[in-house]
Amino acid sequence: MRLHAALALTACLSSGALAIFADDAGHIDYHLALVGLPKREDTFFQQPYAGSKASLLYTLSDKQVIGAVNPKDGAIVWRHSLSTSPNGTHGILRSGEDQDTIITAVGDRITAWSASDGRLAWETRFSGATVEDLEILEQEDGNTVGDVKDAVVLLNDATQGVKRLDGKTGRIKWTYQDTSGNTPFQVSTSPTHVYYISLHTSMLGASTVHVTSLSPVTGKKVDQYTLNTGNDISSRDQILFAGANSASPLLAWTDKAHSALKVNIIGTKGVSTFAAPSKETVERIILHAPNRVNSVPHFLVEYQTKTGHSAEVFHVNLVKSTISKAYSLPNLAGRGIFTTSTTDANVYFTRITSEEVSVVSSRSHGILGRWPIKSSWTLAGAYPVHGVSEVAVRSGSAHAVRSAALFSNGQWALVRNGELTWTRPEFLSGVVSAAWADLPEEETLAHELEVEGHQNVVAAYIHRVKRHIRDLEYFPAWLQALPVRILGNLVGNPSEPISGDIIEHDSFGFHKLVIVATDTGRLAALDAGSSGKIVWNIDLHQLSPGTTFEHPTLKTSRGYVELSDKGLVAPLLINVTTAGLLSAKEKAESVPVVRGQTLVFFDIVDGELKGFEGAQTNATPVWTFTPPTNERIVGWTARPLDDPVASIGKVLGDRRVLYKYLNPNLVLITTVSDSTRTASVYLLDSASGNLLHSTSHSGVDITRPIPSAISENWFSYSMTLDAAHNTASRGYELVVSELFESSIPDDRGPLGAAENSSAVGPNKGDALEPYVLSQTYHIPEEISHMTVSQTRQGITSRELLVTLPESNSIVGIPRYVIDPRRPIGRDPTAEEAAEGLTKYHPVIMFQPQWHINHKNEVFGVKDVITSPSLLESTSLVFAYGLDVFGTRLSPSFAFDMLGKGFNKVQMLLTVGALGVGVLFVAPLVRRKQINSLWTIP
Amino acid sequence: MATQAPPQWALDLTSAPTQKPKSTSIQDPPGFTAALSTKQRSGASKTPVRKTPTEEEMDTLKMKKAWELAIAPAKQLPMNAIGMYMTGNTLQIFSIFMVFTLFKTPITAILALQRVFAPYETPGTSSRLIVVKLVYILTNLVGLCLGIWKVNKMGLLPTTRSDWLAWEAERTWSERAIPRAWL
Repeated sequence: MRLHAALALTACLSSGALAIFADDAGHIDYHLALVGLPKREDTFFQQPYAGSKASLLYTLSDKQVIGAVNPKDGAIVWRHSLSTSPNGTHGILRSGEDQDTIITAVGDRITAWSASDGRLAWETRFSGATVEDLEILEQEDGNTVGDVKDAVVLLNDATQGVKRLDGKTGRIKWTYQDTSGNTPFQVSTSPTHVYYISLHTSMLGASTVHVTSLSPVTGKKVDQYTLNTGNDISSRDQILFAGANSASPLLAWTDKAHSALKVNIIGTKGVSTFAAPSKETVERIILHAPNRVNSVPHFLVEYQTKTGHSAEVFHVNLVKSTISKAYSLPNLAGRGIFTTSTTDANVYFTRITSEEVSVVSSRSHGILGRWPIKSSWTLAGAYPVHGVSEVAVRSGSAHAVRSAALFSNGQWALVRNGELTWTRPEFLSGVVSAAWADLPEEETLAHELEVEGHQNVVAAYIHRVKRHIRDLEYFPAWLQALPVRILGNLVGNPSEPISGDIIEHDSFGFHKLVIVATDTGRLAALDAGSSGKIVWNIDLHQLSPGTTFEHPTLKTSRGYVELSDKGLVAPLLINVTTAGLLSAKEKAESVPVVRGQTLVFFDIVDGELKGFEGAQTNATPVWTFTPPTNERIVGWTARPLDDPVASIGKVLGDRRVLYKYLNPNLVLITTVSDSTRTASVYLLDSASGNLLHSTSHSGVDITRPIPSAISENWFSYSMTLDAAHNTASRGYELVVSELFESSIPDDRGPLGAAENSSAVGPNKGDALEPYVLSQTYHIPEEISHMTVSQTRQGITSRELLVTLPESNSIVGIPRYVIDPRRPIGRDPTAEEAAEGLTKYHPVIMFQPQWHINHKNEVFGVKDVITSPSLLESTSLVFAYGLDVFGTRLSPSFAFDMLGKGFNKVQMLLTVGALGVGVLFVAPLVRRKQINSLWTIP
Repeated sequence: MATQAPPQWALDLTSAPTQKPKSTSIQDPPGFTAALSTKQRSGASKTPVRKTPTEEEMDTLKMKKAWELAIAPAKQLPMNAIGMYMTGNTLQIFSIFMVFTLFKTPITAILALQRVFAPYETPGTSSRLIVVKLVYILTNLVGLCLGIWKVNKMGLLPTTRSDWLAWEAERTWSERAIPRAWL
């Protein structure tokens, strides 16, 4: 009987457990598929194939992610992360007109992607080289296959030179080797020539520009000349523009003071000089030129000053090879940008400021269309940084314009005729640190309850009554909202908040704030309960001017978040609801110390882990952990500060107890040895520095990450086995170890039933060693990061959340699967089966239902953080990196919440019908009872 | 009017025919008992009337009865044990009821001890009845033990360490170490 029940239990555990229900997907989780901040040169509108009516928005971002965005709704059509090469900081995205592929060059890889679906067309690698520039040969020269346009690439390093690649296959057609030793700068094409531009740096530090013209057909050098740049150019940044695949490729540069603009039509030696507006110091000059062969050779030069911006439009006379100024656009205060768009041969310039969008033709300064930008909360206080536009012109006036612009607050927005169509919070792609923060309402309640807990009964009672009287102030509002809430509960979707107000009724604790800090120095708060809605988004440079934020770290306390960074003298305290700066006085005691406990701090100092009695760094260490010779510490993990444990023992099938080794001071250190290719883990008691347990694994690929997690009385870590090493097994391994006080059931180990324990006391070090059970599993994929789900009281079984970078997913491995007590080599006995143990199998396949991200691909996850909610069954999960993903986890199902399938209406109707029935039946029964008493039988 | 003599048929009815016909070939109808002849009657009257048992005999009899009563629960025991064994250790309404009666019967029986043995209580037996009562209690207790055994089998008795685990506390550590990064 018992066996049967246990089998049934395990069967139900293993079959449907932990999967996300289809109707929950998209409601309990949220996913922001981001690409990163789009780059100015590598963002454009383009038809995915020749003759397509709609165009897509392509970009290569600063995170080396190529993405195609639907301009209608801002949704990602496809994207790829290209940042696999370590030196690939420079990326180029180009596409030819009427082509169905777009070509990227990142690091040493040149890849062509199908523009409509993102499939790989071809890829060429030049190992050891870096691609400096990439252009598409627009003209037909009989050398191309079909109508596929070839690419010209400029390589640096080992094989410095220009190569022409076949647009269909990526094969090299010709190579021009540059042996002059000049720094390769750019390639540019004109209908007749390929120009290779290199910089020659003289002894004095000034650079001269060398232009070599090549035959596009053979790659042979046709001509070479040096431009007379004088002493203008001392760094690459001063070259404003080179190229534009137009009929008249331009080379423009400026002097250091940004006082003059010098333009050369590539292929000629003449240099035209134009003075920049002299009213104010020009901070930046940007040249905008059309990128089409058949468009008119007009270009716009944008001058940015501290207070405003203006522009001048120039025309190129192709016959005479002269450049003349056509007209200028007036200076406007504030920040603004210009974008170029072409329709047939006509060139239009769109000016976008925070207030309005206006379109002018390149031929004359008459404004073709003007739309005020409707103010929006997401773009409040932000100004555009750069963008791209598409203009539709009908009968001489701009009919419609849509511009995708990156705004200064990190939002990538599409403005269509002045209206904000969509925004993409691309600044979130650079999140480097995140922390959970409770809503202030809950925080205050928790604080009040704490106060009451510490007072005597009478004072606590008075305090509570006062608190309730104060709460009455919210009563009318609550009463008003009640009908809406009840109605919403009955018919609406309970996970969707009814009001947009953040401080709203949140009985489940799902509405926690996630405070994120980005590498660009922005701080934002997301509401985890409302699909990751951005509550506020601030620039940290405004709070602390002059600081460069490298890697801000966050820590939340009651009502505020503490931000520290290397560049900051004292941590910034920021209110979590208002995003206002707090003074250091308002800082509360942050470390939860029980009275009478000795506090020990530990940190890595000079490759050793050291413990200190006190927060000062210069104090003498209480203990020091020095890794053995040749080993270096690669990481450490400590038990979370708040790690509630529901039961201190594990009940066996025969109802005996295996006591868990619960030490709050456990820290797991991972070390590697470069020479012997071994990875070791050391489990320390961080209060005393005692070594509790250690293991070593040989034949490990030490270049790969060794993530680890520790929770309750167990820890796990994962590693990659060395492929070159001659070992019996290869691949990825997951090791799980569990700590018990004793190997014998019903035994509490050497300490016995003693309630107090000290790791430092005399002769206790050896006696405190736990009994460790370990099991190793082979896993199909590499794990880059692991963490453990957290619930309020720790009753719900835990789940090991592992990040799989190869499949862009996050998998929650249930605890019972990685239980180190699984019997090896035999079937479990009836008692073991009653515990839910199954036979050990060396391979764990990640079940599809374990993927908490289900169909979403979560790119570039750096860290996953978890937090308990008010419901015991549910743990909140937030993952960040490139993408932002959040969900709710119920490892033992949502046992304390009504499911969506629960029919509240039916229940109410049943209760109502029963009530009505009782009303009718009650008089009948009463009459019958009276009659039975009064009539003679 | 003086009382009339009863009619002949009534007289015939009260006094059975004294003389049996000689020819006895015809048997009496079933249910008819012929009146005993005087000879016979005299013979019957000669056998002595069963004399009332003496006090001692009465006590022995009562003791016998009492012993029977005391042993009775033990006789049921094998049947109960088989029943308990067959019902299994899972918590079902059936086995719960059986276990409940298993507990209820002995306890009510022991509580009703005096009433059960009251008919056998005489000045002569009262001293000897104590042993009987003890045996009665013992046999009932054996039944109770069966119930306890069953409950234990069902895992309802807090006999193991795991049953008291909730009252055991986590150790408190006199030191607390935290990474400086969390400070």
